Order: sequence, then C-alpha cells, then structure tokens
Amino acid sequence: MKNNIIKISQPYLMVMPALILIVGIFVGGIFLGFIQSFGYFPLIGLDELTFKYYIEVLTSPTFLKSLGFSLYISFAQAFLSSVLGIFLAIGIVTTIKKDSIINGIYKIPIMIPHTVVALLVFIQLTQSGWLARLLFNFHIIKDMSSFPALVFDQMGIGVVFAYVFKGLPFITLIVIDIVREGYNKYVKVASNLGANKWQVLRHIIFPLTLPSALSGFIILFAYSFGSFEIPYLLGSSTPKALPVEAYIQYNSIDLLDRPKAMVINMIIAFGAFILVSIYQKLYSSLKVKMPGGAL
Amino acid sequence: MKLLKKSYVYFAIGIILFFLLTMILWSLINQWPWPNLWPKQFDLRGLKFAFGSMKSYRILLSSIGLSGFVTVLTLLICYPAARALAFYDFKGKKLISFLFLLPLIVPMITVVLGIHINFIKLGLANNITGVVLVHLLPGIPYGVRLMETSFRQIGQSIELQAQVLGAKRWQVFWYITLPLLFPGIIMAGTMIYIISFSQYFITFLIGGGKVMTFSLFIFPFIESGDRTLASALSLLFISSIYLVLVFSNLLVSYYSKNVNSN
Repeated sequence: MKNNIIKISQPYLMVMPALILIVGIFVGGIFLGFIQSFGYFPLIGLDELTFKYYIEVLTSPTFLKSLGFSLYISFAQAFLSSVLGIFLAIGIVTTIKKDSIINGIYKIPIMIPHTVVALLVFIQLTQSGWLARLLFNFHIIKDMSSFPALVFDQMGIGVVFAYVFKGLPFITLIVIDIVREGYNKYVKVASNLGANKWQVLRHIIFPLTLPSALSGFIILFAYSFGSFEIPYLLGSSTPKALPVEAYIQYNSIDLLDRPKAMVINMIIAFGAFILVSIYQKLYSSLKVKMPGGAL
Repeated sequence: MKLLKKSYVYFAIGIILFFLLTMILWSLINQWPWPNLWPKQFDLRGLKFAFGSMKSYRILLSSIGLSGFVTVLTLLICYPAARALAFYDFKGKKLISFLFLLPLIVPMITVVLGIHINFIKLGLANNITGVVLVHLLPGIPYGVRLMETSFRQIGQSIELQAQVLGAKRWQVFWYITLPLLFPGIIMAGTMIYIISFSQYFITFLIGGGKVMTFSLFIFPFIESGDRTLASALSLLFISSIYLVLVFSNLLVSYYSKNVNSN
C-alpha cells in the first residue's frame, strides 16, 4: 500500500519544482494582472471590481490604434518571415552544397538579441543611414530629408524589417530538413513523371513544410505581439505597439493608470491565447505531428 | 529559375554579412560623416570602451554568471519534469505539459507587470533573487521539451538492464542516463542560456536598475543612437554568445567522439 502511494505520487513529485514556478509565478502573474485589470488594487485604495477600465481602454482611440498597429506588425513580419524563409530553404537546398559555409551564415541572426538587431537596422535604415547615403551618392535622393522615414515611421517598416531579419532565418532553420527530404524523396520522381516547377512547389514542398512553417508563424506572431524592445527602439511615437503602451501606462505618475496597463496586458495575453487555439484547430485538422525542431 | 534561387540565397546572406560588417565598421570609427559610404577616420575609442574597460568586463562577467546560474538551475528543475513526462502516465499530464509550454504563448511582459507589485511586497524586487526567479520562466518550455524528446529517444531499457544487473541508482544515473542524455542537456542549456542572456525588459523591471546585465548596459547606447559605442558593445555581446555556441558544439562533438570510440 505504502509502495503504491509512492509509485503514484512519484511523477507528481518530479514535475513539482517546475510546476511550482510556472503556477506560482507565471500563472500567478497573469492572475494578479487579471484582478488588477478589474480595478482590484488594495495598495492604492482600490478594492472594488469594475469593468470601468476595460470600457475606458477599449473605447480609447489611442488604444485601438495601438491594437491595430500591433496586429499589423505581428502579422506582417510573421507572414513575410514564413514565406521568404521557406523560399530561402528551397534556395539553399537546391543551389548550395551541404558543406558550404552559407549553411552556417544564414543562422547568425537567430543568435543575435533583439536589442542588437534594432541597432543593426537603425544603422542601415535611418535618414542618415547607409542606404540613404548610397541613394544620395547615386543621385537618387537630393538630401538626407528626402529619404523616406523607414525607422520611427507610422508604417512600422523598421520594426517589421527587424523582426523579419531574425524571423526569416528561424523559419528557414525549422523547415530546411523537411525541404531537403522532400527534394530527395519526391521531387526527382515527380519531375521524372513530368511535374513542372510550380507543381512541385504547390503539391510537394508547400504541403510538406506547411505544418512546421505554421508553428513557426505562430511562435513569431505571439512573440512579437508581446515584445517590448524592437517597437520601443525603432517604432513611431504614435501609434505605439501594445507592450510599449502598457509599460507607459504602468509607469505613469498617476497610479490610477495602472489598472489600464493591466487591461492592455490582458488583451495581449488574450490575443496570444486566441492565436494558439486557432493554431491548434488548424493543426489537428492537418493531422501531423509537431516536429521537435519547431520549438 | 536556378539562377534566380541562387541570387536570392546570396542576396539574403549578403544582407546578413553586410549588416554585421557595417556594425563592425561603426565600432572602429571616430568620424563617419554623411554622405560618406566609407568611414573618414578610424579610431579605437569604441573598442577601448567595450573591450578595454573594467566596467564593461565586470558587467559582462556578472551577466555570464547570472545566466550561467539560471541555466544550471533551470536544467535541474526541468530534468525530473521532462523525465516524468517522457516515462510516466498520470492524471493531468496533458494539462501539466500544456502549462510548461505557457511561456511560449503568453509574453513575459504580461507576467512581470502583473506580479511586480507583489514582488515588491515580498522583497523580491530590485534584487538578484527576484531577477533569477523571473529568468527561470522563459527557459522552462525549452528545457522540458528538449530533454523530454531526448528521454523518449533513449528510452528506459538500458537503465532497466543496468538495474537488473545490480547497478545502484546513482551508478545508473552517472554511467548510463547522464552520458546518453548529454547532447540533449547541452542543447537545452545553450538555448536557456542565450534566452536568459538576451532578456531586457524583465531584468529591467524586476531588477529595478539594481541588477545590471549586459543587455541592460547596452540598451541606453542603442536608444540614444550612439552608434560607435553601441556597435562596439554589441560586438562584444555577440562574440560572447558566439563563444558559448562554439563551446557547446565542441562539448557535443567531443562527447560523440568518445561514445563512438567506446
């Protein structure tokens, strides 16, 4: 009997340390943010639960613009990274030798932290950046100010570019083995049977890479939706990305702004959750196993 | 078609190398006025600041120490959890393994902004303990998933055989499990280390400026657009991560050579 109890409880004891951290701090943090978003803030004398802050935030034009901006940035960068990343994998598999140094170089951006990526993009794309200098020297632009604002701009071009710089190689990394296997196994046969390049892409490479590329897309989207550094360093002053907006509200001198910061936080978390559940629906309909590398 | 693909690959690789090269150039200059495409005057001011000052080394070392400690702790915490998920069936397993993936889904900013005030009350804010606690979280999904995969790959049969032959528990762990799991542990550890080393926001908020890491040190230079100092520091930053990657690759290849020769 005693042995039995030990046996049953053993896996629970084994997961306990990690579980305590995740539930105690991670889930706890989300929960605390959740009750604060309803105005429960005993420290500053607020202890009534109210929808006030949700209504206030959700009807504010600044917030709606931020939400739109964040959704747009996250979607644009995840989409561009995924599509261009698959093509880079195809390009490398079909034209580059396996022992070529290029197989190492393309992975470099994955290990560069986001703050440094922001610097790299800043150096190239500001109005005094290298690209502007190049265009000036070729007499395409007249002076510094006629170079379009690509950083701190309303379109978020610098922000999207920075995310793609890191996201594209990430997608390539997670699909390249699948693409290679696809070419080795199926493409030769298909070409022998008369399939053209487009058919190979449409019927072989695309379906094969879709599951991993989709999980990569979700990871990139969710990450950028809640990430602070790049939009803070490269983004415009209006609209601001949601995490930047949340931090500013949090840091406001007026403590009554804090519940609003928590509302924005909850919307970020909620958005991420919705995304992942859509993904799981899609994923189970694809009925394929998640590749370990997609983590 | 082939030419198109090839030029696309070279274009992508070219951008990566060009961006890095420009950063290296910026770290080496005194003057690079508009509209010059090449620096006007080279100078070691930036490199001296990044590579030659005690301050920058001290922060780098303490940052490496912090992330190294976080890595070891995360691995120790994730090891039994990964083992349980790989080898046991128990009630709530699905929910638990979902919870372990949560840090990949919900952003850390949501968590730290929500918990900050309680960390202050508990005395966990503005000190290293709180920073270590929040640094443990983003590594957990990687630690658990990567080690779980390794556990599944090696299975339990070899351990059981050793046990049947009379090996003690620590012997099984030391001579069988650990060597077999080694590449998985190193891979997970490298990921966890890089993630911790690159964190900016959570260190900034929970550490309250009292805990200095290299990510925090470098941030204001990038923010203010001081390209020379920011580039020099970034160069040191990237090099230190690169060295860790080289070291972990060496460990794994050294290990697989030894295993093959045994």
